[in-house]
Amino acid sequence: MQLDSKVPGGPIQDKWDKHRFDLKLVNPANKRKYKVIVVGTGLGGGAAAASLAELGYNVLNFCIQDSPRRAHSIAAQGGINAAKNYQNDGDSIWRLFYDTVKGGDFRARESNVYRLAQVSTEIIDQCVAQGVPFAREYGGLLDNRSFGGAQVSRTFYARGQTGQQLLLGAYASLSRQIAAGKVKMFSRREMLDVVTVDERARGIVVRNLVTGEIEKYAADAVVLATGGYGNVFFLSTNAMASNVTATYRAYKKGACFANPCFTQIHPTCIPVHGDYQSKLTLMSESLRNDGRVWVPREPGDKRPPNEIPESERDYYLERKYPSFGNLVPRDVASRNAKEQCDQGKGVGETGYAVYLDFADAIERDGKAVIEKKYGNLFQMYEKITAQNPYEVPMMIYPAVHYTMGGLWVDYNLMSTVPGMYVLGEANFSDHGANRLGASALMQGLADGYFVIPYTIGDFLATAGTNDVTADHPAFTESEDAVKAQATKLLSINGKRTVDDFHKELGHIMWEYCGMARNAEGLRKAQGLIQKLRAEFWENVLVPGEEKDLNQSLERAGRVADFLEFGELMVIDALHREESCGGHFREEYQTEENEAKRDDENFCYVAAWEYKGDDEAPVLNKEPLEFENVKLTQRSYK
Amino acid sequence: MTKTINLTLKVWRQKNAGDKGKFETCQARNISTDMSFLEMLDVVNEGLTVDGKEPIAFDHDCREGICGMCGTVVNGRAHGPEKGTTLCQLHMRHFDDGDTIAIEPWRARAFKVLKDLVVDRSALDGIIQAGGYISVNAGGAQDANNLPVPQDKADKAMDAAQCIGCGACVASCPNASAMLFAGAKISHLALLPQGRPEAAKRAWAMVKAMDALGFGNCTNERECEAECPKEISIVNIARMNREYYKAGFFSGEKN
Amino acid sequence: MNWFTDTLGTSIGKKLMMALTGLAFCGFLATHLAGNLTLYVGSEAFLSYAEHLHSLGPLITLAEWSLLTLAIIHVATGLTLFYQNWRSRPVRYSVKKTAGGRTIGSRTMPYTGILLLLFIILHLLNFHFVDKTGTNIWNIVTDTFNSGGYIFIYIIAMIVAAVHVSHGLWSAFQTLGVDHPKYTPFIRGLSIVFSVIIGIGFGFIPIFISISV
Repeated sequence: MQLDSKVPGGPIQDKWDKHRFDLKLVNPANKRKYKVIVVGTGLGGGAAAASLAELGYNVLNFCIQDSPRRAHSIAAQGGINAAKNYQNDGDSIWRLFYDTVKGGDFRARESNVYRLAQVSTEIIDQCVAQGVPFAREYGGLLDNRSFGGAQVSRTFYARGQTGQQLLLGAYASLSRQIAAGKVKMFSRREMLDVVTVDERARGIVVRNLVTGEIEKYAADAVVLATGGYGNVFFLSTNAMASNVTATYRAYKKGACFANPCFTQIHPTCIPVHGDYQSKLTLMSESLRNDGRVWVPREPGDKRPPNEIPESERDYYLERKYPSFGNLVPRDVASRNAKEQCDQGKGVGETGYAVYLDFADAIERDGKAVIEKKYGNLFQMYEKITAQNPYEVPMMIYPAVHYTMGGLWVDYNLMSTVPGMYVLGEANFSDHGANRLGASALMQGLADGYFVIPYTIGDFLATAGTNDVTADHPAFTESEDAVKAQATKLLSINGKRTVDDFHKELGHIMWEYCGMARNAEGLRKAQGLIQKLRAEFWENVLVPGEEKDLNQSLERAGRVADFLEFGELMVIDALHREESCGGHFREEYQTEENEAKRDDENFCYVAAWEYKGDDEAPVLNKEPLEFENVKLTQRSYK
Repeated sequence: MTKTINLTLKVWRQKNAGDKGKFETCQARNISTDMSFLEMLDVVNEGLTVDGKEPIAFDHDCREGICGMCGTVVNGRAHGPEKGTTLCQLHMRHFDDGDTIAIEPWRARAFKVLKDLVVDRSALDGIIQAGGYISVNAGGAQDANNLPVPQDKADKAMDAAQCIGCGACVASCPNASAMLFAGAKISHLALLPQGRPEAAKRAWAMVKAMDALGFGNCTNERECEAECPKEISIVNIARMNREYYKAGFFSGEKN
Repeated sequence: MNWFTDTLGTSIGKKLMMALTGLAFCGFLATHLAGNLTLYVGSEAFLSYAEHLHSLGPLITLAEWSLLTLAIIHVATGLTLFYQNWRSRPVRYSVKKTAGGRTIGSRTMPYTGILLLLFIILHLLNFHFVDKTGTNIWNIVTDTFNSGGYIFIYIIAMIVAAVHVSHGLWSAFQTLGVDHPKYTPFIRGLSIVFSVIIGIGFGFIPIFISISV
């Protein structure tokens, strides 16, 4: 397949302007003739559904939860970046663009990132107008804080609940459009297939999670904003319902899946403490602004932290990266934590944790200041661990958090299936091999408020309305396949539960395709996944009925897809014989144990194309050209 | 310290919205005190599944106390006995070995039970749809710093805006009233200059919607603020009342 | 419906009516108590107070009709709220515990209200709709509180009134939208103090009368 990124020509700062002019417009009176399906109600989906409806399109919006307000964007804590330069500290669109490309270890598409930096300022304006209660200075102006991977303060925040407030902003706009009748909301629906006819996305098939009925919806375009696939690891900071099913089934219908092996391991999570654990809890990375990361200097030092004198502590991030210190990007911070623990310096009961210490910050600024900044995070930490971080250093360990990979999209955010757009974490576009903190919220809202409203019009104006209805045989075929899978899952009646399989898959992925990977491990993982998948289809135990609220069946479908998708991740990780960002191949590292890229051979997006269940996926490459940023070895020293 | 405990659960089981439903007893054995309440239910469900029974249906998603999806009444308390805590953040260290725990769904006329502990809270969305927003379209906003907001107002707005929409206020209110939920949203937007132009209209429409959706009336029992996982104060209800009076008695607009 | 009834008809409108009429009753209680304090002085003071009151003529009639109107509004709205609130949770919890918000006053509001209504009817039969020819109000009062039963009923009623007011007074302010970090603690304290004064001030009258006369 020939990948056409449709990046407009001209200087990078003019591309988006010029492109917007070149895009065809739909006459305002004609917009009401078009129907758009938006799957997902997070920052990408919610913002897209609201904005498209504001323009006059008829939107059908779907979400898996009971209310559009619960999408997992809500859990983002730290903040949202924007190149406002309100702090007068030298920020600019160009710097945000540069930081993002560099932070992504030069595996993102320059033009997309530049556009993201450009619209970042509009996002803040829009959110403030919606009533998002961002933190303010005494004079009433917006406050900023700094974040990992940047040396300027460009992060806007609402206590430790920025994602929540931004999402509720989008949800408010969405609610307004629901009331106006422009958005028809379908909650408790899980998308199980995309229907394509004559190489165009025509609609989707969903399962009503309350009744178990399979429902079919046709539209003129389909927008997927279904989030990331971090739950392939079973334990991640993702919500329990976050899954790969929507994007994976779109992949099976012809959308290329790009860079699936690019996953982000977040450095500041609460460590794992038991087999029963269902998810990991992230502590905002903003904590690294004031917390100092350390481990005991000597391996095996089991003294309580307060008894370890200053001289016997190793503030390893400050030592190794004097200029960025505790604010190095996530991948660097995570890998270093793993390295310390692998050397036996890990702390806590399991030895898989490092300290994040606020003693100095509390002494410097006073407890009240720290409480104002991080109060709710400290409270959350204490609730989970029963330890008071004002007195005892926090223990943290990296956890799977975000997936940079996703469905391949062009500059217009359209996948390789015409008429199917992909937004937010579900696409691959802006973060390369590693995402900087406070950039996910920015991307979701940029895609939803300020990109898709323009680009979708161009497609609709060109392709016209969809004449295929939900009665078309292609819909029936898809419906039958979805039903058949459910029937099959319920009929196996084996011995192992869905979670049991999921946990085993998670172990395989974490062990061999996690923070550090190597060819041997990845090959082994591929075999293990295939074996596990085969066992799943013979030995899974799914109770309950098809036409009912059946949470076991829901999970079974998702795990079935994870079991296939996990292998795709491994294949991608195996083929990328370099280290970059979150993808760290042990065979490819610098003498200082940093990720070593191979720009000559791997400076491309790997977009995998589905060829059938028994066929190997085909690799398509989109070469990455860097005209504005010089490719350098990342250094945060 | 981590230890394990054994519990007896009395769980509300209901096949579907039409079913009458009843309590069923089951055992939760070897529960680590580091588990969250929902992880305890996970363990029980794994056991039920292997025993060929149907697991308990319950709503949950983020499991870090922010999505508002989880929530049941545990021993008579919405989200369990801890203050300022959602069910997913309630840890088993707050229970003792041998305890019997009664688990019931949110109960209110406005919330229909769909299955076991899963309830339909779309009525809360209905209240927001009536006016819980500022009417701005994407694209038309002025520069964010053109509109200074006093820090104190921004903080109060944030206090109110923290609502996660879980419905614990309704579940714990002796009258199944949604005043704290509505009051929090009305307050959040009324406190900010951006929200002022529509303040009267918003208060009016949301109160009307709340009544129409079948919630009860507020009698200032203060159970809602005592049970709210985000500890939202009834100061917000008072503010909603003021906004409502302004709309009803003083606004020139025709409602 | 016009805008006025429309505004009063909602959940908050009904609360407003309860609050305003309730506050008016608190004012009435305070005045009534101030007048009744003359009972503690003796028959002359009390009779002189009664005479002054009756000399107000049409004003007193106006006050009586106003109180009746307020009472009808308060009772009718209260009963409506009670019914609606009872209906708003068709299936009850099998276990329900308070989270610490409720007080005895708030919890018992409808019940104390109904008891007070019954008491007020009795009270009016005792002292208002009574044949006053050939006697005076002092004698009627002292006769009534000669009976142990009446003393008991009146004392209980005053405790009930105090409980009702302990929630009602601050609750009225909250409903009116007066909730402020600086003043609310004072208002809540005032409610307790006021209810104690009402309870003791009225409640001791029967005891005092029965002992002193």
